[in-house]
Amino acid sequence: MEPQTQASRSSDPIIQVRNLRKTYYHGKLVALDNVSLDIPQKQVAVIIGPSGSGKSTLLRCLNYLETPDSGDVIVDGISLSTTEQLAKVRAEIGMVFQQFNLFPHLTVLDNIMVAQRIVRKRNRDDAERTAKELLAKVGIADKGNSHPGQLSGGQQQRVAIARALAMQPKIMLFDEPTSALDPEMIKEVLDVMLQLAQDGMTMVVVSHEMGFARNAADRVIFMDEGAIIEDTTPKELFDAPKHDRTREFLGKILH
Amino acid sequence: MLLDDTSRLTEHRLTRAEARDWRLVAAAFGALLLLVSYALPLFGQRISSATTEFSGGTVIEREYPVLVHEQHFAQTKRPIGEQLVSVEITTEQVSLAESTGYGWMAQIVQDSEGALRHLSMLLMMGLPLVSAVIAIALVGQSWRGPSGVPEALIPISIQLAALSVPGLFLAWFHQFDFSFLLLEQSAGALMPGVGFWLAMAASVTTAVSLFSLRNETRREIVNWWALVLAVVLVIWLLVRFRPFPYLEIWRFINDGILVTLRIVSTSFGLMLLVSLLGGLGRISSNRVINFVASLYVELVRGIPLLVQLLFIWFALPQVFNVIGAALLSVPLLEGAGQWLIDLRLDPFTAAVLGLTVCYGAYGAEIFRAGISSIHKGQMEAARSVGMSYVQAMRFVILPQAARVILPPVGNEFVALLKDSSLVSVLAVSDLTRRGREYMSRTFLSFDTWIMVALCYLVLTLFSSRMVELIESKTRFER
Ligand SMILES: Nc1ncnc2c1ncn2[C@@H]1O[C@H](COP(=O)(O)OP(=O)(O)OP(=O)(O)O)[C@@H](O)[C@H]1O
Ligand SMILES: [Mg+2]
Repeated sequence: MEPQTQASRSSDPIIQVRNLRKTYYHGKLVALDNVSLDIPQKQVAVIIGPSGSGKSTLLRCLNYLETPDSGDVIVDGISLSTTEQLAKVRAEIGMVFQQFNLFPHLTVLDNIMVAQRIVRKRNRDDAERTAKELLAKVGIADKGNSHPGQLSGGQQQRVAIARALAMQPKIMLFDEPTSALDPEMIKEVLDVMLQLAQDGMTMVVVSHEMGFARNAADRVIFMDEGAIIEDTTPKELFDAPKHDRTREFLGKILH
Repeated sequence: MLLDDTSRLTEHRLTRAEARDWRLVAAAFGALLLLVSYALPLFGQRISSATTEFSGGTVIEREYPVLVHEQHFAQTKRPIGEQLVSVEITTEQVSLAESTGYGWMAQIVQDSEGALRHLSMLLMMGLPLVSAVIAIALVGQSWRGPSGVPEALIPISIQLAALSVPGLFLAWFHQFDFSFLLLEQSAGALMPGVGFWLAMAASVTTAVSLFSLRNETRREIVNWWALVLAVVLVIWLLVRFRPFPYLEIWRFINDGILVTLRIVSTSFGLMLLVSLLGGLGRISSNRVINFVASLYVELVRGIPLLVQLLFIWFALPQVFNVIGAALLSVPLLEGAGQWLIDLRLDPFTAAVLGLTVCYGAYGAEIFRAGISSIHKGQMEAARSVGMSYVQAMRFVILPQAARVILPPVGNEFVALLKDSSLVSVLAVSDLTRRGREYMSRTFLSFDTWIMVALCYLVLTLFSSRMVELIESKTRFER
């Protein structure tokens, strides 16, 4: 991809989802049903929906951790269904998981350095400097030499965010980053995400944290049964939902 | 004071009264006494030559410049059809300086051949010395250190002190080459001197006082390494007390031990590689690779190792011949065909091949289980930061799986070591085959097989302990 074409498309949405379909059990279970979606640069999109509605599947298709049955995802002008360099594209897309998925055999610093070293081929000093800066940014500068198992859940999730940021990604994906956390740790993770949103990162967040959605999101997408039901601003979706299913769902989670 | 005193003298600087505890004082006294006793006459006379006469007229005359050596073997391995008639020895006085413990050790070290030949004498005499040094270190640290008796030193110092007493006796036995006939012949000349008895008393004192310190530590006083040592000791004592046939058996089979170790280490290294590939194949989503790997595992695990070895040795050359002949008629592949026909497996290669193929199948299952025990989120996280499959395996999955894989793979190593005895059917001169050869030559079946069994036991017990050690080292890192 030459820089010129990239520049000429910079006004294009950085993520374009085209007619994605994903099924399990040989087509018996439809997880994503013909989903299309554009996400412009610097947008913060929050996806909500009931359990099993396909939110994680959609998110995981955005970096092709899950290969869709049909349809395509175009990230920064590159079509993931045809590219030979999936790993290269993935390095540009940070991902944060519900279960953190830190590497338990490595120290916190090494967790953040390992991909910089072997994927970005940075030398040790540069990687370490970046790692330390990011640790300071997420507020745990003193934990560099601990192992993940020695940290609290909130600290681990912040390390996971730092690990993703170390690749200097253009996009960040979050799959329920706070739902495995005790209530008192949720805020410290959300604060980091909020900061990231203010810095202009393009973010796609699966989360039921309504406070975050109201404050940080440009857009909220409601999914059900593998399809996008409603896709609008937070204010409109929360205050005046158009569909019955949306209303019903919001009634359940907001009480 | 009683032996089961349970006061804890650790974790604090000893008070003046505690420092005068009899166990510490007696241990230090015993250790110092030992150092002194080694400067007194230990063995004042030595055997300088011996004449051995057999009934058929065979006479063996030998001179011994430093220490009697292999005399026992010479007189027990009688020529065929002859009986031992008599052993005459001459003894000679050694100078006062040379008769001391230090003197004897110096003589043996200085003798160019003697140092190795009489290594066991050096070890037996050195044992009480090392024990004394450690006892002094222990007492010294207790008196001066900030945390009282150094608990970590207690087990080792008890073990060494306890071994010093038999060690001194065994050192004395070297003076008559473990042959009580020679001791009788010397008519008292070989009885130990005052230094010996003093060293004995010192060792007993140190051993008893250190042993009564055992309640100061929560560590195990004896661990399973002692069993390895004990089996080595049994072999050594057999060789010394009954040089015929055990010394002869040992000399005959010890090159077999090296062959066994070479076969086992080569096959083990290759087996790890096969296991890794097999394990990755078994979890591969590529159906062909998965099928091939699964077929390999299922087939090989269903055939006894002995049958596999016999197949490789006797039948594989014919398979090569048939394939080679078929290739000869294919243009461009004649060279490969001729190469296959000419290919001859030597016994060593066949043995390694058989063991690798067989154990690789079991190892593949271990690797598969180990790799799949790692949560799939790890692979996803690694891929999400842009690592390739190989990089993710290499840097994220395998290092974690290694901890799961290590214990069963260690057990496989021990099993491989034992099963390597089966390769003796392939004309490989391993430990087992050397034993069989010796037995068919002499018909000493009991002695031969007890020796072979003991040798295997040392190897397997030692490996098991090493596996445990490596396991415990890797467990802490997390
Ligand atoms: N690997 C898989 N194998 C089989 N079925 C799957 C798999 N992953 C997801 N599914 C199914 O696909 C559907 C969508 O799942 P998905 O995880 O995307 O839902 P979700 O909206 O993220 O739900 P939750 O809020 O519970 O995380 C569900 O019915 C789920 O059971
Ligand atoms: Mg989900």
